[in-house]
Amino acid sequence: MADLLFELGIEEIPAPAVAGIRDQLRELFLARLAQDHVAHGGIECAATNRRLLIHVLGMPEKTASKEETVLGPAKRIALDERGLPTVALKKFCEFQGVKLTDVVEIETPKGKYLGITKVGGGRDAAELLTAAIPAILAALTFPKTMVWNESRVPFIRPLKNILALFGNRPLNVEYAGVRSGNRSPGHLLLSDAFFEVNSFKDYFEGLGRNFIILREEERKSKILAEIREIEEELECRVPCAGEMLDYYLYSNEYPVVFSGSFDAKYLALPTEIITAFMTHEKKLLPVYDGAGKLTNHFVGVANIPDENRKVSRGNEKVVQAAFEDAQFFWDQDRKEDFYALKGLLKNVMFQKELGTYFEKVERLAALVDFVINETRQDAMRSQLHKAAFHCKNDLLTKMVREFPSLQGIMGGLYLQAAGEDPLVWKAIYGHYKPKGLAEEKLDDLGAGILSIADRMDNIAGFVGKGIKISSSKDPYGIRRDANAIIKIIIDFQLPLDLAPLIRMAALHFAKNDADLEQNCKTIRELLAARLENYLKDYRKLRYDVVNAVMGQDTMAVVDKYLKAQAVATLVETGMAEPLAALHRRLKNICGENERCNFSEDALKEKEEKILFDVFKESKPRIDGLILKKNFTQASSEILEMKPIIDAFFEKIHVMDKNVTLRKNRIALLQRIDELLSAVADFSLLVETKPGGKT
Amino acid sequence: MSVQNVILKLQEFWAERGCVIASGYDIEVGAGTMSPDTFFRVLGKKPWQVAYWQPSRRPDDGRYGQNPNRVQKHNQFQVILKPVPADGQLLFLDSLIYLGVDIRIHDIKFDDDNWASPSLGAWGVGWQVMCDGLEISQFTYFQQAGGIELNPNSLEITYGIERLAGFLDNKSSLYELDWGNRVSYAQLRLEEERQFSVYNFELADIDMLRSLFQQYQKEAEKLLDRSLYLPAYDYVLKCSHAFNILDARKAISVAERTALMGIMRNLAARIAQKYVQQTEGEDHG
Repeated sequence: MADLLFELGIEEIPAPAVAGIRDQLRELFLARLAQDHVAHGGIECAATNRRLLIHVLGMPEKTASKEETVLGPAKRIALDERGLPTVALKKFCEFQGVKLTDVVEIETPKGKYLGITKVGGGRDAAELLTAAIPAILAALTFPKTMVWNESRVPFIRPLKNILALFGNRPLNVEYAGVRSGNRSPGHLLLSDAFFEVNSFKDYFEGLGRNFIILREEERKSKILAEIREIEEELECRVPCAGEMLDYYLYSNEYPVVFSGSFDAKYLALPTEIITAFMTHEKKLLPVYDGAGKLTNHFVGVANIPDENRKVSRGNEKVVQAAFEDAQFFWDQDRKEDFYALKGLLKNVMFQKELGTYFEKVERLAALVDFVINETRQDAMRSQLHKAAFHCKNDLLTKMVREFPSLQGIMGGLYLQAAGEDPLVWKAIYGHYKPKGLAEEKLDDLGAGILSIADRMDNIAGFVGKGIKISSSKDPYGIRRDANAIIKIIIDFQLPLDLAPLIRMAALHFAKNDADLEQNCKTIRELLAARLENYLKDYRKLRYDVVNAVMGQDTMAVVDKYLKAQAVATLVETGMAEPLAALHRRLKNICGENERCNFSEDALKEKEEKILFDVFKESKPRIDGLILKKNFTQASSEILEMKPIIDAFFEKIHVMDKNVTLRKNRIALLQRIDELLSAVADFSLLVETKPGGKT
Repeated sequence: MSVQNVILKLQEFWAERGCVIASGYDIEVGAGTMSPDTFFRVLGKKPWQVAYWQPSRRPDDGRYGQNPNRVQKHNQFQVILKPVPADGQLLFLDSLIYLGVDIRIHDIKFDDDNWASPSLGAWGVGWQVMCDGLEISQFTYFQQAGGIELNPNSLEITYGIERLAGFLDNKSSLYELDWGNRVSYAQLRLEEERQFSVYNFELADIDMLRSLFQQYQKEAEKLLDRSLYLPAYDYVLKCSHAFNILDARKAISVAERTALMGIMRNLAARIAQKYVQQTEGEDHG
């Protein structure tokens, strides 16, 4: 048994790409080992921005040998009447590289075949690995590649070193012009360029000696523990998670947390600006006091110990200079007439083929108007119009040109500073939110409405332009826009049917009527898919519960959400089971028939008359409940009809020979089915008991 | 360390490592990359090692001499190593040590930052080099120039001279820097920053610059037809500077921007092709 130690030394991989490459490498190794039938005791992997490690545990020196049978053609095809080999058999031998004399007869359940037996496996693991490694490296994919040497092999950044030891013996591999050797790169700043590695022991000792913390978890706990120390020391709060934590994790081999401070006068700048400058530009963390107020401290992570406080002093100067710039942008921008910037949007392209931002904001005003009508928010009309017209002006401010991530926010802040109505500036401030489903509900309905309009226009534009998205490709963030629309509508419970809004947005980008229909359909499907995703993955509703409400071809998002909640409740309370049974029974009969006409006069038997009387009496009440979106109550009232319906099924032969009677009975059942279907398609529930798979 | 000492030391360091110490180009450029000593020499097969100090003009970065870090003309120290050396990062760190940076107590990071110059049809992959959070250099593996795939590739190291001097001298405003022999950066450059900011942002004649752009373009085309790619390239640089001033004047609309960039990119591509044709011809002859 032997372990493989495989390490790639690479010049600084961009932090966001590191983990993905590490995982790919692991998957590729696992797949290749399986393909080569190399048994092993698992794979460990680890990565920094300068090295990727794969450690395969417990491999046999030779793979297990086993006899295997390779079937050739059937005997009657392989040999002619005279018992001589046919072309089929000769080809088989040629392909397998064996002589005719190696062929034996093999009995199978399908009859007699000719074939060969050969001994597979028993291969030298070191040889297999030597062959596998270049193939594995060639199979890696990167977000962006480059070439740098004569090999012209594309990689994410120059590959500098390959260390490959199998059972402490070096493997001889070469990739991208780099030959493997017995060395590993040291820390960029704190150690020699390379340290020698002749065994696993050497490797792990060498890492320690050379200031390299290989394991992500160790680096992470070091960072978080040191941040906690600072929190205690300064009695403050320093949130560190998500992108920033990942950045630190994959930008330092020996992370050391440091802190610093800046002139408190800059705290007069809006908080949003301070935090954006610190995080996006300087990769530093803002520090908050006990009350959650921003302080004039910051925290960062260096790749070396900062015993002389050189790193923190240096960063202090940089932060100070950045805030000086921010102050300049903030002061200069406020000197300009913010409203007048709208005219200049004629010079700013929204997207190639999709016109300028000036045209976009004109469209947004119309879309906002439509949403206001639908959602009956007339009181906001004039303010939201104004917000729509000016929501992109900040793209022309110095601040947003420098910090695109502040778009929207800056427009809001500049108008707030100019004394604008809060309804206007808040709508602009928040209209790029929410960024994700997990974000909190927007504070401001106006921002929500403007955000819906803006995002719907984005989606319609990109779909109109023919941009296709797939699970891995969504360069314009269409999916994110669609998610946000769904989230806003549900968060604010907006009575908004998306179908007409989609049509209105798509009108601007369609080349002709057929194109328009196609685009509307694409957008409806996209939004329906995002709603489905929202309900299943974010709201954690069971898949069959979601399926039960997704079928109906309407884009009334809130209705579908409430219906899904109602069905989930019905499942919890045990009412879903009889409803599902009822609905399946109704569907069985109604399903294949066209909608039939109903006539009260054609009712003959007692049970069908009773059923109709009950239906007639309940329907207006149930319709009313559905209209009030009380779907649980509506369903339970339908359920109350079940004994009557059961009695009907027991006594009445629906498929009567008499066409009139038959069609009339089907028509009655269809009316009940329609009532039930107005809530959900309960027949799609797979599991009617609580729990089950999500 | 004074600004001039930074320049002198970098010249010494790179001369000792085999670089030609060239002069910065004498036409306005936005970056050292635009000098013919980079643009042409990274094309084709011939090895090339050069280092030069290049004053670089970015009209839009002017701050009327009031910002401690931003100026419409800053100084770059440009190094081109072709083909890419095996130990470029270490060479670069050595140059910092030579300047007196103790890399064991300063947090030097290679932070993902790719470079592209759409108007020259050029792009590369690399990093901005941060020192205690301050960007002091760009470190780029060139992939393409004038729309031509580069083989061999070149390594470009661009030092921000003011940034380095400010770091080494522990100054928080570049105007406080000692240029050399007790002449301050402010004495040497402040008035220039003031005047050019006023000119670039407020007074540059838009119609004149538009018409100049067209004339430069015509001249470049004429020269290209005669295969005089070197003077043709000068006129592309002149186009580029006129464009940058127009941009600082906010005089360029979207459609115009796309069109003007396209004109420059096209010219740069044709110039690069001429150069390659001629030099590859020499290789065979």
